[in-house]
Amino acid sequence: MPLLSRRETLTGLGALALGGCSPQPRPGSEPLVSILRAPGYTQDLYDSVRRLLLEHRLDVRGKRILLKPNLVEFDPSTTINTHVLLVHAALEAFRSLGASAVQIAEGPGHRRLTLDLADAAGYFETIPGFEGVFTDLNLDEVRQVKLARPFSKLRSLFLPQTALACDLLVSMPKMKTHHWVGATLAMKNLFGLVPGAVYGWPKNILHWAGIHECIADLHRTFPSHFSIVDGIVGMEGNGPVQGTPKPAGVIVAGRDPAAVDATCCRIMGLDPAKIHYLKLAETRDQTREECVRQIGEAIAGVRTPFDLIPQLRWVGAS
Amino acid sequence: MLSALRAAQNRDGGWGYAGGSSWTEPTVYALLALRAEPGSSQAVERGLAWLRGARRQDGGWAPHPAVDQSTWVTALVALLPPESTWDAPAQALEWLLRQTGSESAVAGRLRSWLLGGRPDYERRHAGWPWFPGAASWIAPTALTILALQKLQRRSADRRIEERVEAARKFLMSRVCRDGGWNHGASRALGYETDSYPETTGMALLALDGVAFPGLSKALARAGRHLEQCRSAQASSWLELGLLAHGKPAPQPKGPGGLCRSTMDTALCLLAEKALRGNNLFLG
Repeated sequence: MPLLSRRETLTGLGALALGGCSPQPRPGSEPLVSILRAPGYTQDLYDSVRRLLLEHRLDVRGKRILLKPNLVEFDPSTTINTHVLLVHAALEAFRSLGASAVQIAEGPGHRRLTLDLADAAGYFETIPGFEGVFTDLNLDEVRQVKLARPFSKLRSLFLPQTALACDLLVSMPKMKTHHWVGATLAMKNLFGLVPGAVYGWPKNILHWAGIHECIADLHRTFPSHFSIVDGIVGMEGNGPVQGTPKPAGVIVAGRDPAAVDATCCRIMGLDPAKIHYLKLAETRDQTREECVRQIGEAIAGVRTPFDLIPQLRWVGAS
Repeated sequence: MLSALRAAQNRDGGWGYAGGSSWTEPTVYALLALRAEPGSSQAVERGLAWLRGARRQDGGWAPHPAVDQSTWVTALVALLPPESTWDAPAQALEWLLRQTGSESAVAGRLRSWLLGGRPDYERRHAGWPWFPGAASWIAPTALTILALQKLQRRSADRRIEERVEAARKFLMSRVCRDGGWNHGASRALGYETDSYPETTGMALLALDGVAFPGLSKALARAGRHLEQCRSAQASSWLELGLLAHGKPAPQPKGPGGLCRSTMDTALCLLAEKALRGNNLFLG
């Protein structure tokens, strides 16, 4: 278990002084999270994703949208990558809602052959003109960004211009267990924004600076954010690379990534309060179920406990 | 492919990854591929001028002019042959010798000991990180070995000999269960992992002339990777690695890969040269 930092200690003492509870959110101001049942990767996804965006009243007219899926490995038979059909459905939905531009971008962490990887994952075949809408974030133009009040040891990061310039970043992760941090969802997916051409493959400097803390730093750096999690078939066991497929049959979405991730954790049978990066990013108790306004399916109705390797059992819900 | 590579040169003399501004990595590979090619002397001279101007005060090179940190790309610059007016490898040497992966430094080993548990790797053998302050990984270690070996051939240096020997041991300690290499994590939390084509090719290239117990298995894995490879860049690294060990590269059975970027094109050209007996990473 990580030792408490000075920041965490002070935050904890502050909470205790307030009676161990944050002020109750104003009714109706809680983060909204949708759980949508989706039994498979079918053409129905196009309509489902559009309805989902309407449900969240996203005004994207004239805005530049950046879809950030999770591309990791070549093998199309695994469930390691965000499914291309969901990404294409999101692209079409944002276009139909009046976005001025919808781009797809990713910077894989281990493999540097991003376009070849996207090709193998079916992106070229499924998305017309894919190369014209895709940016390899590992090789994009970069700008140094100072991290405001960083949680990690980093004081600044070089980040891709494409991600910095968009109006709305849409994190589209695969719902997976993660052997270092518990779960990889909307927030952890932001590691793919960090350019490999600067930091390498893997982006190991983030590990040395504190994985959880870097996730929280990236989350804070990209506040204009929407999340659509591919939990139709997720990955359990030794994720995020070597796990096994786990059909959960859901898409989870919302504007607050911490709330979305916490909801995903509950679906996966994980305790979000035990995931350190979620606690770091929490600003209004989003990891507590009662502080999230859930729409669509109820968590109990879609709960699908993910198998955990022994080293990850600490994150399981008791 | 040569003319495509020349046409992709930026006005400032460098090359981008796929258009865009000039980066050190694609510039070095383009220069390696174009060097000594008829009709390329002007392009090469302009490229070298861009690199000369990009050298940092600490003796290293940054990946891009916007980045204020010398990194692993310094090893790439050291792969370039010395010119009559500029000896890039010699300039890069001291910076490269100062770098090591954090896991093998005293502080990293102490940290690992304090955290307890059984480490996945032997931490004594120092390789090179992508970025200062991080751990060692296969690609930067393999490329730095190749650069230092070139320098060693020019003038013997005990420090180079020691670092290359340790780095080769690092590579051999990170072989995956299937005989090849991935990014450098052949085990994680005790679980074995599988190799990638591109890093298998790079590691084999860096282990040129080294007979080690896993060599046959590594070469067999590289051959199988190449048969099924779907990436032009990865295929090139595999060909370079196999050729370094005197193995003819098998024909791919799969769809192969398209040259989509400066790096893809340059590495295809370098693999073709190696096929004709001129492996510029080793010469």
